[in-house]
Amino acid sequence: MHQAIAFRVAFVAAGDRGDAEEAVQDGFVKAHRALGRFREGAPFRPWLLRIVANEAHNRRRSAGRRAGLALRAAVAASGDAAPSPEAAALSHERRDELLAALATLEERDREVLVDRFLLDLGEEETAAALGVRRGTVKSRTSRALERIRAALGEEDGS
Amino acid sequence: MNGLEHELRALAPLVEWPEEPDVAAVVAVRIAAPRERRRPSVRVGVALAVIVLALAVALAVPPARTAIFDWLGIGSARIELVDELPALPLTAPVELLGEPTTLADARRRAGFPIAPPPRSEPAPDEIRVVDGRRVSYLWRDGDRIRLLVTQVPGLLQRTEVLKKLIPPSVRIERLTIDGDGAVFLAGGPHAVFLLGPSGSFEEDHGWLAGRTLLVDRGSSTLRIEGDLDRDQAVDLVRAMTMT
Repeated sequence: MHQAIAFRVAFVAAGDRGDAEEAVQDGFVKAHRALGRFREGAPFRPWLLRIVANEAHNRRRSAGRRAGLALRAAVAASGDAAPSPEAAALSHERRDELLAALATLEERDREVLVDRFLLDLGEEETAAALGVRRGTVKSRTSRALERIRAALGEEDGS
Repeated sequence: MNGLEHELRALAPLVEWPEEPDVAAVVAVRIAAPRERRRPSVRVGVALAVIVLALAVALAVPPARTAIFDWLGIGSARIELVDELPALPLTAPVELLGEPTTLADARRRAGFPIAPPPRSEPAPDEIRVVDGRRVSYLWRDGDRIRLLVTQVPGLLQRTEVLKKLIPPSVRIERLTIDGDGAVFLAGGPHAVFLLGPSGSFEEDHGWLAGRTLLVDRGSSTLRIEGDLDRDQAVDLVRAMTMT
């Protein structure tokens, strides 16, 4: 149920598929063992994502490499559903431009944008995945949007 | 939201993500395996015996490997594998299911979205509610509860409001019902516990249940217990649409 989103969050954090898989495994095992400390009534998914993302970040750091993230646009929309009208309206060139601009960003800028917009995480879940406070997600998102705009040569914010 | 944010969101379904690994089986075995020695326990002997037993059960019953893992996945129901069941009543004690009431009142007091009784069945003999915790529909056959449908808050609201102890004799089948994850339990009795007033699973809040279907509907977890085979239980779930 939570495997798919946990894996993608880990992939974004680790920048490597193998590390992401290990992070999900270790994170789920740790979550199981920590279940007694889970605060009843708190939302479950942010709690789980925080554990998994932390594992993924640790892996990337211990590997001592800068996180890259190779995202590509699929030929067809992923999943069974037809692409949304908004997705269909994005030209192939624009998709590639956006993904290329994302790839040029610093890790922290890229991660917040991918979590918020490509994975559609809420602010609380994004904060959990990044290991920061919710207010930091807002400010980081705002700065990251400015930087990707600059990378796209659209600094006027229009 | 500005144009760039719209564009990034529009990009989401077009991104080609790496194929997701199925980690359930590995996680299940690791959960059942002995922990690292870094945290010695004063009850190592007992703990190890339990762990070895859990591992043996996990490996002996292949579907159970994923079942151990299902505590994370099947809504707010936690599933634990056990060797023996505790002594418990053979039917659900109705007082645990709350006060008798009407559907409108139950809906108001539930605190989470509930589905109305299945269209395919006659109206339930009783509707019972525990404020903010559970809503149950009961159909009786004399003194016996023929069919019991209980809805509890899903993981989106809170965690673990149901606990099940599954002995090796029970067959655990995972399925998907219209996109919702589900587990069908059959083959023998299992123990079910409801969250007590103290917020924990208490000994006197359980009973031994027969065939049961658990469905994760996101905002609620649905439990159906009765003399139904898997397909009949699935049909019943499909006849319970949210309104």
